Amino acid sequence: MNPKKYLTLTRMGIMESLQFRMSTVIIFVGNLLYLIVVYFLWKAIYASSGQEVVNGMTFSDTLIYLVLATALFNFMEMYTVWQIGRAIQSGSIVLYLLKPMEIRRYIFMEYSGNFIVNFFATLFPTFIVVNIVTHGAVPLGLNLLYFVVSVVIAVMINYNIDFFVGTICLYTESIWGINIMKQVIVLLLSGATIPLAFFPESIRNIVNWLPFQSIYNTPLTLLLGKTADIKDVAVILGTQLFWFLATYAVSKLFWKISLPQITVNGG
Amino acid sequence: MKRKGLLFYARLYCKILAQDLKSKMSYRADFIISTIGMIFTNIAGFISFWILFRNFSTINGWGYYEMLFLYGFSLVSLTPAQCFFDNNWSLRQYVYTGDFIKYCFRPINLFFYYQSEVFDIKGLGQLAFGLAMIIFSWIKLGLGFTPLMLIKLVIFLITASLVMIALQTAAAATCFWIHNSFFVLDLAFRFKDYAKYPITIFSKVFRFVFTFIMPIAFIAYYPSLVILRPDEVELLSWLSPLFGIAFFYIAYRIWMYGAMKYSGTGS
Repeated sequence: MNPKKYLTLTRMGIMESLQFRMSTVIIFVGNLLYLIVVYFLWKAIYASSGQEVVNGMTFSDTLIYLVLATALFNFMEMYTVWQIGRAIQSGSIVLYLLKPMEIRRYIFMEYSGNFIVNFFATLFPTFIVVNIVTHGAVPLGLNLLYFVVSVVIAVMINYNIDFFVGTICLYTESIWGINIMKQVIVLLLSGATIPLAFFPESIRNIVNWLPFQSIYNTPLTLLLGKTADIKDVAVILGTQLFWFLATYAVSKLFWKISLPQITVNGG
Repeated sequence: MKRKGLLFYARLYCKILAQDLKSKMSYRADFIISTIGMIFTNIAGFISFWILFRNFSTINGWGYYEMLFLYGFSLVSLTPAQCFFDNNWSLRQYVYTGDFIKYCFRPINLFFYYQSEVFDIKGLGQLAFGLAMIIFSWIKLGLGFTPLMLIKLVIFLITASLVMIALQTAAAATCFWIHNSFFVLDLAFRFKDYAKYPITIFSKVFRFVFTFIMPIAFIAYYPSLVILRPDEVELLSWLSPLFGIAFFYIAYRIWMYGAMKYSGTGS
């Protein structure tokens, strides 16, 4: 394995994403508006409930959770389903298959530069701002380390799911429909729109057995420092790792089975 | 050039619509999957709403059924933008590739011709959801029923729908000036999710912003007050039809201005 070829792709990704500064500004404005809405909505909710702590979460916990969930969403969203779907429709998938690197790895490395840019452009500043606004509600300790490890695994689980869903596009002519379904399911069941702590007991029990909660809920709970015990942390990260391996295996297998299905009409 | 009448355009629209439906039917799988995706989105939106209200019975003095009414109202008033103006999403590509020039050579209104080319049937699912919510919460709230109320509801729904159409049209028109305008359109599209919240939850500054600068409060809040709380209707509620028309007209002029300046790509 030659790391140099991967780093070249990473560098390309960084340069490419720096090209589109305008879109970064617009995404930033969009997120800011979303955060304003979320802030006022939950402030009103907590004010009308008359309680400080609801389901084990205070107002600042909920705010940090939702704000960082949004930041994480923008950090992780790779548009892989669109990329694979379009490549299949246009036939340019052939160009990926001809590369001396596995397609799954190539697309990931091609995007990896964006992770670096996004980290410094959105995730890190958001974290700082949130911590200032909530007067340091996020404990700064080992939990940061757990968070980083957890986010790395979450990114890869998310990618596996995306790749799996992108493969479905081989069979259907639809990208929009498939992608929206994926997005809706992932965002709801991962606790990105509403923290899982607010879910009714019965639904939460089901959701806990699905891979989606590993994407947003796990890193964010670890960050908020609700689990101090090292043994609990190990179990949580272990579960996440399990889901990474499971989604990896399934999506790899599915791609392998599906590959012979590709038909490209001329060039 | 002779001005063409309304009847002429109505007949023309039906003809173009028939062609569009025929071409959609040839991609049946895509159509079915997209429709399911749309239904998914609505179900997930409702589930989030339901989970929220399981934890909190009122938000800022707004009860469950009142919020449900606002939600339903916003879904219905967003439907026309989804159904009739979906081609806005493709404008960017037409302009970029130069294909947009074909629309400029027709002896009919450019804006009309462009928008008439696509009718998005899957928006009808959203309409059904919204209507069901309005009717259900109407009954639960015991608002009573008079023909006058129905007329008011229809008028306010139609004019409220102009606001989202205006936002989307203006956002799409940015592609005449900037590249990568997808993010602007996506930003405007995300506004629709905030329309269902009562504007009273925001602070004064943002109440102003969401009323006059990014007028999402006119999508559901102001117009539905007329039905929902007839005793405390604000002046802005009565004026909301005028605002809807004004916003639409401004967006239309921006769009046309961009289109008239368009010089093609030379191919």
